[in-house]
Amino acid sequence: MSQRQLAMVMDLNKCIGCQTCTVSCKTQWTNRNGREYMYWNNVETYPGEGYPKKWQELGGGFDEAGDLKAGVVPSLQGEYGVPWDYNHEELANGAQLKPHVDPKWGPNWDEDEGAGDFPNDNYFFYIPRICNHCTNPGCLSACPRDAIFKRDQDGVVLVDLDRCQGYRYCIAGCPYKKIYFNPRISKSEKCILCFPRIEKGLPPACAQQCVGRIRFVGFLDDEEGQVYKLVKKFKVALPLRPDYGTESNVYYVPPTEAPPKFDANGKIIEGSERIPPEVLEKLFGKEVHEAARTLRAEMKKRKETGESELMDLLIAYKHEDMFRLDNNYYAEYAKSKGMPVIKPVDERYLSGKYTSKMKFFTKGANA
Amino acid sequence: MKTLKTIIVLMSLLGLTSLMAQSLNALYVKEDLSKVSLTSNVWQKAKEQSVEVYPQTTIEMNDAELIKANEANLAKVLHVKTLSDGKSVAFLLQWNDKTKSLQTVQSTTDYSDGFAVQFSTVNDKLPYIGMGSVDRAVIVHLQKATGKVYEPNNGGDVYHQVNASNQNAFAKELTSYKNEVAKQGNGDYQRAFIAEGFRSLTQIRDNSEPSLMEMKYDKGVWSALLVRPLKSEHLNLQGSFPVAFAIWDGEKKNRDGAKLLSAWVGVSLDANAKALALLDEAKGDASNGEKLMMENCSACHQYKSVKNAPNYMAPNLSNIGGYANASYLKESIMEPSAVVVPGYNLNAHKNFLWYTSDDKGVRTSTMPPFAHLDEKSVNDLVAFMKTLKVEVEK
Repeated sequence: MSQRQLAMVMDLNKCIGCQTCTVSCKTQWTNRNGREYMYWNNVETYPGEGYPKKWQELGGGFDEAGDLKAGVVPSLQGEYGVPWDYNHEELANGAQLKPHVDPKWGPNWDEDEGAGDFPNDNYFFYIPRICNHCTNPGCLSACPRDAIFKRDQDGVVLVDLDRCQGYRYCIAGCPYKKIYFNPRISKSEKCILCFPRIEKGLPPACAQQCVGRIRFVGFLDDEEGQVYKLVKKFKVALPLRPDYGTESNVYYVPPTEAPPKFDANGKIIEGSERIPPEVLEKLFGKEVHEAARTLRAEMKKRKETGESELMDLLIAYKHEDMFRLDNNYYAEYAKSKGMPVIKPVDERYLSGKYTSKMKFFTKGANA
Repeated sequence: MKTLKTIIVLMSLLGLTSLMAQSLNALYVKEDLSKVSLTSNVWQKAKEQSVEVYPQTTIEMNDAELIKANEANLAKVLHVKTLSDGKSVAFLLQWNDKTKSLQTVQSTTDYSDGFAVQFSTVNDKLPYIGMGSVDRAVIVHLQKATGKVYEPNNGGDVYHQVNASNQNAFAKELTSYKNEVAKQGNGDYQRAFIAEGFRSLTQIRDNSEPSLMEMKYDKGVWSALLVRPLKSEHLNLQGSFPVAFAIWDGEKKNRDGAKLLSAWVGVSLDANAKALALLDEAKGDASNGEKLMMENCSACHQYKSVKNAPNYMAPNLSNIGGYANASYLKESIMEPSAVVVPGYNLNAHKNFLWYTSDDKGVRTSTMPPFAHLDEKSVNDLVAFMKTLKVEVEK
């Protein structure tokens, strides 16, 4: 358990599936080094199979007794899809442009397909997904090497690349399949919540670049912060698949704003819900109904009175309000630990805790 | 060879002690072993001895496909030759494996065949087999059959690890780029580790435990070589010393704890070396031990068909006789906190934690000491526990 927890809220009513977040992450962290197939951030269409394919059916997470459930490691060929290149060099010789493998799956493969019959009751919405930096991470629990750790200062979950030996139990253990095996270096890698950025008071790249301003970032115990207000005060931001038992720290404002259904004559069915409530309940748990009620009530209140703190929060007028990262928090934390004040990179992530002399079982080393 | 097989079959039918080696005799040779290879003629002089390796069952890992692939897991026989030139010790291991598995850079689900040889840094007490234990560290030499592997932390040359398609390089330029990338990958995944218990395995990067390793697959048989100095920073091997072997089958998605593991066996560097007292097998009445085990142990431990205890209550002992030595079993009964095996899941089974930690990180096992048992009962229990093991693959 970390001392504080940094969390992210994503408002799904505002996500337009533009993939700007995906690109900002991909170009910053995962465009090389055996990470070509990795999407630490991806945006998938729901209903859809997602990335990796059918991730919700690949196991992992915890059972009711708190024991790890068995999971599987997705394959590059089947579930992720081999990232393909084109034969650009051959074009000058008259060849036709073609991918170097026969593509079978990839991120965004089923983009905008959704479900239902157009135009009567078809629907889809977008879910951007990153590592949830869980309070009870399945990856951390499954690692027999103590190579995954949750940072004390902010709860960011990281892989110690020095200790990781590429066993991949973490991937089986993460029910969101948001930890990836890098076959080129034979180690696991994952979203680092852009910790080198947040330590300088900057939000993660995916959040900063988001054109829909759907992402809020802040500490869960910061009562003035928008994250606290959305998650704890108004309870409209909910974790994805809470039934996995990992206590995820990325929260979603569920999509509530879809048009009503049409009947056979093309007329509006009053009071109908285009996104079936059971679909939302599967994703966000039973609390989704109360969250939707709150959202609708606040919207109504805004229309009638012009006042609603929740609507003001969700409109996200100012970028600086959305990312309350306590600019001086990391500097103060470093000072209290006797660390150099500017510490943009986590030392353990870079160099591990390798030592040729064994004295591991000291306080804190195996907490 | 045929006669030997007949004798083994007859003896196992009669329930007699197996012929497997408790002690490996290293043949002294004049040749410089630091240059020996798998195909060196010097191996022809050495006598082949057999060591059984058993599936480690203490902890079930969370990989569904691994669990399925290992349902019918059997023990295997390792054929071992041992040499010494007075400065180094060399082991040649051979085992049957119908499938050659290589971990490649194009797959997330390939696992490699591999082997490890383990040495104890202490000689008065045996460390926990497989991972060592506090104040009883082990040195592990590991080799895995992998494709080219790149080190993320050491080289620091990120430029040459960029996808070739992302380069503004063509023709000869691109070829030299690709050659440089290929050069940076190490084909052989060889590592030396030091460990003081579960979760402590740590790579030794300063070459203070040097080794020469080789793995070769031919017609269904893996041959593997390890040569290392008798003296190094952590080890001073002389007379007789304990050693243990492990092998991994990539086809069965084996890695880490999912392996076949031997008990500690003694290596004698010369004929006059005193056998290791630590490796003495307990003599006891196994049938009385079985009764005692049911009375004293089965409420918490599962073993074979005895499943009175809930899953994860305590380590599963189904194969304990295959890879644990009598002295370790005895110690674990009398002083359970001497070696504490952690569960695989840091956050689970809160109702029956296997140990508690004090603020200095010292672990106390939740198993009470059974020091009140008389010596005969303990010997009987150990004799029974030594029978807890699966069949050896034919």
